Amino acid sequence: MSETICAVATPPGRGGIGIVRISGPASQEVAQVLLGQVPPPRIATLVDFRTDEGETLDSGIALYFPSPASYTGEDVLELQGHGSPVALDRVVGYILEQGVRMANPGEFTERAFRNDKLDLAQAEAVADLIASGSAEAARAATRSLAGEFSRCVHELDRKILTLRIYVESAIDFAEEEVDFLGDQEQVDQLVAMQKLLERLIERSTAGLTMQLGMDVAIAGDPNVGKSSLLNQLLGEDRAIVTATAGTTRDTLHGELSLDGLPVRLTDTAGLRKSDDPIEVIGMKRAEAALEVADCVLWVVDDADENGSPPKEYQAKSLVVRNKCDLTGKTPGGLGDDTFRTCALTGAGLDELCEHLKQIAGFRTGIDAFAGRPRHIDSLKRARGALASAVDELSTRQGELVAENLRVAHECLGEIVGATTSDDLLGEIFATFCIGK
Amino acid sequence: MNYPTAFDVIVIGGGHAGVEAALASARVGASTLLLTQAIETIGQMSCNPAIGGIGKSHLVREIDALGGAMAIAADQAGIHFRTLNNSKGPAVRATRAQADRVLYRNAIRQAVERQPNLTVFQDMMVDLTIKSDRVVSVTSRLGLEIAGGTVVLTTGTFLGGRIYIGEEQHAGGRAGDSASVELSEKLRELPLSAGRLKTGTPPRIDGNTVDFSKLEAQPGDDPRPVMSFLSSPELHPQQVNCHITHTNVQTHDVIRRGLDRSPMFTGEIEGVGPRYCPSIEDKIVRFADRDQHQIFVEPEGLQTTELYPNGISTSLPFDIQFEAVRTIRGFEDALITRPGYAIEYDFFDPRGLMPSLETKNIENLFFAGQINGTTGYEEAAAQGLVAGLNAARKAAGQSAWVPQRHEAYIGVLIDDLTTMGANEPYRMFTSRAEYRLRLRQDNADLRLTPVGRELGLVTGDRYKVFSARRDRLEKCNSVLAGTTIHLNSDLARKLSKASGEAISKDVSLLDFAKRPGVRAEHLTASGVFSGRDESHLVQALIDVKYHGYLRRQDQAIERSRAQLGVELPRDMEYEGIDGLSNELREKLARVRPATLGKASNIPGMTPAALSLLSVHAKRHSGIRKTA
Repeated sequence: MSETICAVATPPGRGGIGIVRISGPASQEVAQVLLGQVPPPRIATLVDFRTDEGETLDSGIALYFPSPASYTGEDVLELQGHGSPVALDRVVGYILEQGVRMANPGEFTERAFRNDKLDLAQAEAVADLIASGSAEAARAATRSLAGEFSRCVHELDRKILTLRIYVESAIDFAEEEVDFLGDQEQVDQLVAMQKLLERLIERSTAGLTMQLGMDVAIAGDPNVGKSSLLNQLLGEDRAIVTATAGTTRDTLHGELSLDGLPVRLTDTAGLRKSDDPIEVIGMKRAEAALEVADCVLWVVDDADENGSPPKEYQAKSLVVRNKCDLTGKTPGGLGDDTFRTCALTGAGLDELCEHLKQIAGFRTGIDAFAGRPRHIDSLKRARGALASAVDELSTRQGELVAENLRVAHECLGEIVGATTSDDLLGEIFATFCIGK
Repeated sequence: MNYPTAFDVIVIGGGHAGVEAALASARVGASTLLLTQAIETIGQMSCNPAIGGIGKSHLVREIDALGGAMAIAADQAGIHFRTLNNSKGPAVRATRAQADRVLYRNAIRQAVERQPNLTVFQDMMVDLTIKSDRVVSVTSRLGLEIAGGTVVLTTGTFLGGRIYIGEEQHAGGRAGDSASVELSEKLRELPLSAGRLKTGTPPRIDGNTVDFSKLEAQPGDDPRPVMSFLSSPELHPQQVNCHITHTNVQTHDVIRRGLDRSPMFTGEIEGVGPRYCPSIEDKIVRFADRDQHQIFVEPEGLQTTELYPNGISTSLPFDIQFEAVRTIRGFEDALITRPGYAIEYDFFDPRGLMPSLETKNIENLFFAGQINGTTGYEEAAAQGLVAGLNAARKAAGQSAWVPQRHEAYIGVLIDDLTTMGANEPYRMFTSRAEYRLRLRQDNADLRLTPVGRELGLVTGDRYKVFSARRDRLEKCNSVLAGTTIHLNSDLARKLSKASGEAISKDVSLLDFAKRPGVRAEHLTASGVFSGRDESHLVQALIDVKYHGYLRRQDQAIERSRAQLGVELPRDMEYEGIDGLSNELREKLARVRPATLGKASNIPGMTPAALSLLSVHAKRHSGIRKTA
């Protein structure tokens, strides 16, 4: 018998309503003790939450969902009280005294999954939903949750199965009067599957990007306007800006959202030779930030002739030619990963941000899934196998086409559950009149 | 009354499972008794007169590689040989032999009679004695009690066998033979999970009444393949043609008229039949849009005109069979010599077996063949060999040997049976083997003969032939790996000319051979190999061509050996594992897989579920250690 668990379901902090959720076989008992009654199923009931000594802890709405028609599939009791952390703590504390334990992170979802309320992909999407920081990512998670990711993978899984029915029949039932697919038809089907798979990978990767966001480091010589750039991008005065070189000694952080893409900005100390111990430490930190960054904005003074980023970061750097208000040149993208900006007025920053989104793989107009790295890995391996299947078709090696399809099928099975050879044979017998 | 001597191993039944079981047991040195209802029917082919086929000949070659009798007997009795899937790659090529029933039976009987340590006795087993969950003896109809260390039951379709022809039905183990009714009742008292399966045969036709000019002749292949690693085509008797004809719309009309008297459709037969070997009435109902079905007209033997029309197995009433046969092209005046029939028989859920094929609940009792829910001579023989070997090893106090899924089709067969069970008669197909590219006919000896030698299954003579072949093969491989083709050399010119493949830089012969267009004869033509090497070179090149795939599978096997070898405790509580779906939990609780690898074969299993299981297995063993 599983334990009964309990947790505060609303985000931490002072809110209007605080919800406590209880799931498991003891939910009824808790209701009896705390509310003096088990509320009628699925009907909002206004009650006091009291201890057995009659002390009122809070009052509010109680909802009872008997198993299996609940989120977790178990008996669930939901208490909607006042949002004050103190009141919530008292209610939860009292419930825990009743032999209920605190839920682990994601345990409600896990139970829902375990009780077949969600499939694995959906359960993972819920976990992403809880963890996701931005609204776009939340939307992507919702789409997976609704089973669209599952549906798409299932669709592809089914297509592979259908092709395998023909390819495997041609091998195991070569003597039977079954319909064999011509090479061209197989190629056509494979190409169609590759397109579907490509789109799936694209959508999942976009979803993953929305969750992970990107780390951007701002670097360059002292006094080129790095901190101004940070402030302008964040829309607030995070960094102290002076005309004195080396004003920023420590790394400064800030987060911004580019149409929902979470971007973590790090403003680094200007890289220059210095004996000041504080400045040296700051530069060490700056280097560390540059190393982990997905992208480096290498800021130079537009008045300088050259000023390219250090070789080791060149590949992931964008050159930002700042202070164009002083040179009088037109702000905007210059090509070759170079932009001309004025951090003080914000001129040229739109183009820069647009480019950052591109680098992150951010795509507008794409219905992103809350992709998980594990899923994307499986999908990419399936893509490799399908490509090999196409190659082997050209050498007319039926058993190798079959082998690649088997591998591709296995990869998708890692997401939606495996198809066994017995399942496959069952499909073959249902499709063809096999047997002498 | 007691039989005067006791045996290490007693094998019940002289069919394909029983014969290989008795031979294997005796080969490894156990004193073995083969108890059969009728010595005349040892090695009888009850159904179609053919050995092998796709997936099946793979099993035959493995049985042969382990010293079994089936392949050589098929060569001695084969009157029509074909290589199937010849246009496809070597992994899925297969061999099929039409066999003369009498010649086959004689070949098998000879093998049995020549086998040292093997005693044959004709009587029917009616009971077995079990003391503290362990079988100690069997009792025959004569009242003889025979003591044995271990017992292998291979009852075929005889256990509670019931024959159906239309509305007629009677007890029987095969047309003309009686069923084991008493034994069936005894076994049903044991803690084993029993079920019913069905299979069927077509009516046999008198060849003198067939107009062969209306049939399409199908000759055997030339060059003619052989079944055994020890055989050559010179061993084969006279060769004959098979023929092909078809059912038609009239045939289907006649059959539809008889459906109301078919035991399949009136609900008389409860047993589940094989979907890949449906009766003609089943095919007509399930695939109503088809207006014809193919029939392979197979000769029953050289000394008889009787024919086996493969494709119209039926349990329809005799009058319908008669009328339907006469609608078929070439059969307009045909006479039926024996009616087709369906037979329903007992089997026991093979999930009640350990991989050694010993029953989990009754020690020293082994099952092989149709009693385990399989169908086919080859599947039966393969199990027989494993059960006989392990029965002998158990009697001698040795641990069991069972090949793994990546080692042999026999391993796939046993693993599938013992983990998934049998919802219908189980037949081998190459698609069941995920390591299909390595489990080939051509390398069955390389895979199994060395271990067969160690187990005592393989005699010195066979091993000598094998060693010589392996040495030649290894020489081919070392020449392939050790030769460099230099740009513009004489060798490069010769190879280029022979194969039509351009050589634009120095390349090893091995890499050159990997190109899809390069074949063995190109290499012999260039003089690197002599013509004498060609057959070995052909074989060596198979591994060369599959190299990339085989290496990837090697890695997969390695991974699964490490991960999937994790043992799952027998008493693991699947109920208590959070995160498993109810469906999987139920399946796991029912199957109780021995290892994570076995669990991974369960339909619907995901990597997430497997990792959960591995965590719980660890936790479980931790709990037990501290307890």
